[in-house]
Amino acid sequence: MEPESQVGDAYLVARARDGYLDAYEMLVQRHSANAYRVALQLCGNHHDAQDIAQEALVAAWQNLPRFRGDASFATWLYRIVTRRALNKISRGPVADQADLLEDFTDAVAGPAEQTERNLAVDAVTDALAALPFPQRTVVVLHHFEGLSYADVAEVTGSSVPAVRSNLFRARRTLGKKLGEWR
Amino acid sequence: MDEPSAEPPAGPLLLDAVTLACGAEVDPLLEQVADGRAADLNAHQRDCVHCQAAIAEFAALWEPVAETAASQVAAPPGLTAAVMSQIRVLVRDVWYTLQTTELGTIRIAARIVAALARDSARMVPGVRVALGRSTHSRLAALAETATFGHRYPQAAVGVLGRTAVVDLAVAVTYGDSAHAVARDIQQHVIGTLRELVGLQTVVVNVKIDDILPGEADR
Repeated sequence: MEPESQVGDAYLVARARDGYLDAYEMLVQRHSANAYRVALQLCGNHHDAQDIAQEALVAAWQNLPRFRGDASFATWLYRIVTRRALNKISRGPVADQADLLEDFTDAVAGPAEQTERNLAVDAVTDALAALPFPQRTVVVLHHFEGLSYADVAEVTGSSVPAVRSNLFRARRTLGKKLGEWR
Repeated sequence: MDEPSAEPPAGPLLLDAVTLACGAEVDPLLEQVADGRAADLNAHQRDCVHCQAAIAEFAALWEPVAETAASQVAAPPGLTAAVMSQIRVLVRDVWYTLQTTELGTIRIAARIVAALARDSARMVPGVRVALGRSTHSRLAALAETATFGHRYPQAAVGVLGRTAVVDLAVAVTYGDSAHAVARDIQQHVIGTLRELVGLQTVVVNVKIDDILPGEADR
């Protein structure tokens, strides 16, 4: 295990607030993939996802003094990413829904298996994109990122019952869409 | 005339139902499957064909979602560099060492000096993590403005001409003499910066602020 991986996010956040940019760089290295992945699943295309992740990571650094540490850095970053994704989506249609596929390529799978998997990913992407943003967000955070209901509520600024209710509706809609695809 | 069928809904139609024929609610079943607990049947489900059929159907419907969620998505190459580059512009971290020779001038960015100092410190036995900063006090003020109040408690200095002051925050191995490790870091880093950057005067401030368990303790 790399020694750097043994220091917690709270330590790195404290050092970043003291002006150690390389402490923040370690945080970026740890969390950039999560930020990008959530942005990708929320907005559905690579270019917007990269913009959102980059903007969110810079905004997180700018707002470190306001970060009280009640939630984890990861949860706090998820909140910034989801808000930025919502802003981006609200501003207009996304650039290109199709290029989500390129981010799910799997070098291990054979061509036929890969094509089938890409079709499945495509179907999930379309089904996700058809969900209202609050439902899409809870599905991505809970089922894709593995956050608990309480953490999803923290990220989205809602309650656990509201998260659960959104997930119930979202799962039924996703199930129906994917049933049509099958 | 045939009686209307009393069969429960099947397939995706299940998703329009509130309950199954056995009275079990659909949403908790779907939640059970989506959360990866399809095999964790309760006492009722173990004896109920309706629940078992619904769980099997939901598992098939949910499989593409689970597959997509399990796919590895890496951050685009260059994302970290782009973020840090943007931040460095915000703090205007553009100070350089300056050496004038008969051939011209040599300037080395202060952040490079800090990175060299950090990497040099990491080579000292007992050092587990080292972080370096090189912000000049004026830069600290700029950064404070840019970040709405970042604090630099020890007025980090940085570089001026052929003089450098570097702050290092270090985590050491539990059980090692923190004082001895700090002295080793100072000597090693000063030697490195003199040799690699050509600095004449180097001051290395070491702050040991975390202790990590040794290799044998993990």
